[in-house]
Amino acid sequence: MNKVKTQLNFKALFKNPYVQFILFGLVLSTLPLLSIQFSFIKSAYITTVGVALIYAIAALGLNLLLGWSGLISLGTAGFMGLASYISAYLTVDMGLPFEVALLAAILVPTFIGILVGLVSLKIEGLYLAIATLAVSEILRKTFEEFDQFTGAFSGKSAKFPQLFGMFQLDRGSTYWLIVFILILVMLITYNMVNGQIGRALNAMRGSEAAAQAMGVNLLKYRLVAFALATIFASVAGVLYVHFIRYSYPSSWTLKLSLDFLAMIVIGGLRSIYGTVLGAFIVFAVPDLFLKQIPYFSQLSYTLNGILIILVIMFYPNGIVMIFKDIRLWVLKLLKKGDRNHVK
Amino acid sequence: MSTFVQILLRSLESGSVYALAALGIIVIYRTSNITNFAQGAVGMFNTYVVTFLVIQAGFPLWLAILGGVGTAILMGFTIDYLVIRHTKKVSPVAKQIITLGLIMVVLGLAPMFFGVDPLNLPRLIPDGNVNILGANLSYNGLFNIVFGFTLMFILFYILQNTKVGLAVRTTASNEYTARLMGVPTKTVTLGAWALAAVLGLLAGVMIAPTTSVNLNLMDVVQVNALIACVFGGFQTFYGPILGAYIIGISRNMLLYYYDSVWGGQILYVLILIFLIFRPYGLIGKKVVKKV
Repeated sequence: MNKVKTQLNFKALFKNPYVQFILFGLVLSTLPLLSIQFSFIKSAYITTVGVALIYAIAALGLNLLLGWSGLISLGTAGFMGLASYISAYLTVDMGLPFEVALLAAILVPTFIGILVGLVSLKIEGLYLAIATLAVSEILRKTFEEFDQFTGAFSGKSAKFPQLFGMFQLDRGSTYWLIVFILILVMLITYNMVNGQIGRALNAMRGSEAAAQAMGVNLLKYRLVAFALATIFASVAGVLYVHFIRYSYPSSWTLKLSLDFLAMIVIGGLRSIYGTVLGAFIVFAVPDLFLKQIPYFSQLSYTLNGILIILVIMFYPNGIVMIFKDIRLWVLKLLKKGDRNHVK
Repeated sequence: MSTFVQILLRSLESGSVYALAALGIIVIYRTSNITNFAQGAVGMFNTYVVTFLVIQAGFPLWLAILGGVGTAILMGFTIDYLVIRHTKKVSPVAKQIITLGLIMVVLGLAPMFFGVDPLNLPRLIPDGNVNILGANLSYNGLFNIVFGFTLMFILFYILQNTKVGLAVRTTASNEYTARLMGVPTKTVTLGAWALAAVLGLLAGVMIAPTTSVNLNLMDVVQVNALIACVFGGFQTFYGPILGAYIIGISRNMLLYYYDSVWGGQILYVLILIFLIFRPYGLIGKKVVKKV
């Protein structure tokens, strides 16, 4: 009897979303260890998966905007790029510690993000999307022209981060830092959307007029949504420049902003795990799997495009729904089996 | 004065490129309700086809362009027939991601067919200059300007005064009602995608001689065309074209008379400020939302 009870507790523990997030993080963080143990997991995969996880952080911010608040933005790439340049400049040229650079690289883009939030009160829908695209383009052109700060077309280099001025990280430990921050961001997002802010954002998405009538302050929550999205994008930008150790103006184009949009639409709007899954499909699948298919290695990019189109055609609500469908399908099969049994 | 005219003429040339691309985007937006982010990529691919026909197959340029128009139409048909037609139930945001998928397909296929090296496309009229009010303009540039205007005039004539145009306009205004009234909306959408691909190709062929034909050929055109659509307003067919010419002219004016480094950024900032005061663009109307 006692044994059964502990088992039940165990089950309840696994059902706890916080525990799930931490377990998810632990599973992700085994990758560098696995790559040492097994030869078929190449160490280059650490970079691929790490970058996908970094993009997932920025995409979670965009999901807060598009999924929960219904505000579309194509400016993510610009903000991420800005943060990456600021962090690279402060750590390499000014010799400031990583933590200070991180803080500055979050504050500056967030200020611009809040300004965009103010604009979003007037401009809506597609117009807002392309207005944010214009912001992103202004930033990208600045990266190209302002060469004493950004190194123009030759790019800006940075080093792996040094924590608290004493722990110099290498590639594997920077990967762990990325996983840690991703899990942190997932937890923050989870708490946020299940709390007061999430309810307000949901109400805003449904109907602005109704939300206002219920006492939701549109200005406040739009600014909060834009600020959070920009903060997540900035954190991703800082991690990117210290993980890849390079930042080029050509990385921060419209294409990347569309990729972020693709990640959350494919993964599933308003789904935290879906966003991470979407990041893998858009960024890691071509490198990890499609390139391994014989005769098709050159076509990996094309295949990924086709995959994205197919997912949207057949799973317009996101690929996370596939798990639900599989479960229903299995249940149906089991039921059928039962009926046959009765006969 | 002659510098001013010179800049104006050059701007009209780049304005025509943006306008053709913007027209492609707006035609698709109005008939299929999709913001086509792949407009530039599809145009780039077909420009590659033209360049390939000229360099590898030795075709004269005009014949190669006809070949490019052929592949553009074929591509437009394929995209609509295989993908867009089956996305009636997909949300508007997800539909835009489909065009991102198309960009990836095109970007993946182009290097396989045409190699990774940038190619050079010659001008349609190789040499000769014309003097207008003291400003020099190549015959090719003049041809581009006149061609852009003529093509748009013809398209607007068809749109406003023919039965085909009426079908397009009714589909644009309400697809469901149009279908009830017997308008073959499927054919209209099919045609819209083909037309957009052809317009993208023409924009590509116009801009290609000024740089080289590479994978990023149309990136700037794509972004400027999208901003032109917002600036002009998505509600009319002619708004984006007006926006495209204004962007083309004011961009070059700012770059020359104000600042050669920050001119482009300042133009975007001005457009953003303009949008705050007129959120639906130059000619856009407010869409009334029901509570």
